[in-house]
Amino acid sequence: MAAAKRKRRGVPATAAKKLKRILKDAGQPAKSPAVAGDVEEEEKDRIPGPVCKGKWKNKERILIFSSRGISFRTRHLMQDLRMLMPHSKADTKMDRKDKLFVINEVCEMKNCNKCIYFEAKKKQDLYMWLSNSPHGPSAKFLVQNIHTLAELKMTGNCLKGSRPLLSFDPAFDELPHYTLLKELLIQIFSTPRYHPKSQPFVDHVFTFTILDNRIWFRNFQIIEEDAALVEIGPRFVLNLIKIFQGSFGGPTLYENPHYQSPN
Amino acid sequence: MDTPPLSGSDSDSDDSLVSDRELQDAFSRGLLKPGLNVVLEGPKKAVNDVNGLKQCLAEFKRDLEWVERLDVTLGPVPEISEPQPTPQSKDQKKAVNPEDDFQREMSFYRQAQAAVLAVLPRLHQLRVPTKRPTDYFAEMAKSDQQMQKIRQKLQTKQAAMEKSEKAKQLRALRKYGKKVQTEVLQKRQQEKAHMMNAIKKYQKGFSDKLDFLEGDQKPVSQGKKAAVKGQQMNKGPSAKRRYKNQKFGFGGKKKGSKWNTRESYDDVSGFRAKVAHGKVSKRPGKKGSNKRPGKRTREKMKSKSR
Repeated sequence: MAAAKRKRRGVPATAAKKLKRILKDAGQPAKSPAVAGDVEEEEKDRIPGPVCKGKWKNKERILIFSSRGISFRTRHLMQDLRMLMPHSKADTKMDRKDKLFVINEVCEMKNCNKCIYFEAKKKQDLYMWLSNSPHGPSAKFLVQNIHTLAELKMTGNCLKGSRPLLSFDPAFDELPHYTLLKELLIQIFSTPRYHPKSQPFVDHVFTFTILDNRIWFRNFQIIEEDAALVEIGPRFVLNLIKIFQGSFGGPTLYENPHYQSPN
Repeated sequence: MDTPPLSGSDSDSDDSLVSDRELQDAFSRGLLKPGLNVVLEGPKKAVNDVNGLKQCLAEFKRDLEWVERLDVTLGPVPEISEPQPTPQSKDQKKAVNPEDDFQREMSFYRQAQAAVLAVLPRLHQLRVPTKRPTDYFAEMAKSDQQMQKIRQKLQTKQAAMEKSEKAKQLRALRKYGKKVQTEVLQKRQQEKAHMMNAIKKYQKGFSDKLDFLEGDQKPVSQGKKAAVKGQQMNKGPSAKRRYKNQKFGFGGKKKGSKWNTRESYDDVSGFRAKVAHGKVSKRPGKKGSNKRPGKRTREKMKSKSR
């Protein structure tokens, strides 16, 4: 399995490295905008702005990877998600022959506490797992109607790594399984504040809506303060299959009665 | 089980008889159908462990500040066409038809709008920036190349629309132009016909005025001409025409109109004595009397004059 071949860097080492980097950045004075004319500008403390530098406390790391046999569309979707979420990490493809609980070990090695895993079956159906890695709940979805960022009909654009605003349907508060899913989605999709790779502006909004027993995801760019919006993409539809108590296993907490397997 | 075999078999047969009898009863009542009856499983019940879910949520939930999560739960902004008295966005939920693409996407859009409108003041309060300064250059989610492609596509679309609009307008114009052209042509034809009529009339001697040659005095002269025309036209079609109209006009050939019957022979209504004697001149004042004598008279004259 690929995980075994990987070199391991201990947890304290990575944490120490990150801490060092933050301290170093905190020491640099704010540079003038002329210097900030570089295209690849990622440090948030180079902007002249009223934002005071803060410490990155919310240590969420998401592992986004997939199994073998995914189509190009899924691959692009995965790349789009990695780009939109600066607190994400990538990993190599996993063989489908391995059991799913191996993913927990992979997460631990990468020091991630959440995971998005794409599983493609028969080159047609795409399943997505969202899970909280050590002990928490996990959910399996069937993904449909994928449109990626590269589609020309979606004309909006946003900063890479900017923090999103998450908008949920009121239906998420009505049923207990939806509340659990809402919490999971919030923890996964919200970019932590003061993350070193994030931009401090809030310029796009993710919408999650429940319609027809499915969760619809859209991403809009905020152009004007009076809520003029343009769609950026990607967009997809999640059809819930099951919610498990453990990560990639454990007792089933909820099963969707409206779900029909695509075969 | 030391029962004698008979009784055993009896008991067995009793049991089987009982069950058989039961079966027969059930069958006679119509509960059983002929064929192999297999016990079916009941419909699968979906697991919904509500308590488990709630417990899991309680364990899993993290108490983060709102500014870390930035989440909003709001329904969509109400449509402008429906004036609602209370701005309670949570209560207004008309069932959106998921098949109707436009309605669906509009509901997502409005939900996002509601979220943005609710959150922006809060963000401003917390001094989280939402507007990017114009001199802040940073990497965007979509590359510049991608945005160029999008812009190009939008431009071509717009150009195509404009082109089709122009073509439509041109077509409409051409139609109008054609109409105007035909009108002008018709007018010219009419004028020509009018002129020819006037000329012919002058030739035939009905009018000795050459007014029609002065074509530009339209309103007054036309009125005059019309009056003159009317007076002369009171004669209507010529006699020959009238005879032919009567014989052959409306309704086609009258039946038996060629019969040489006693009535038709006796009918002398068409007899004009002066015409018969040749005393009426059909062309009054045509260059004087241009009567050329006949051949014999001319020969006589010739021989006489010699």
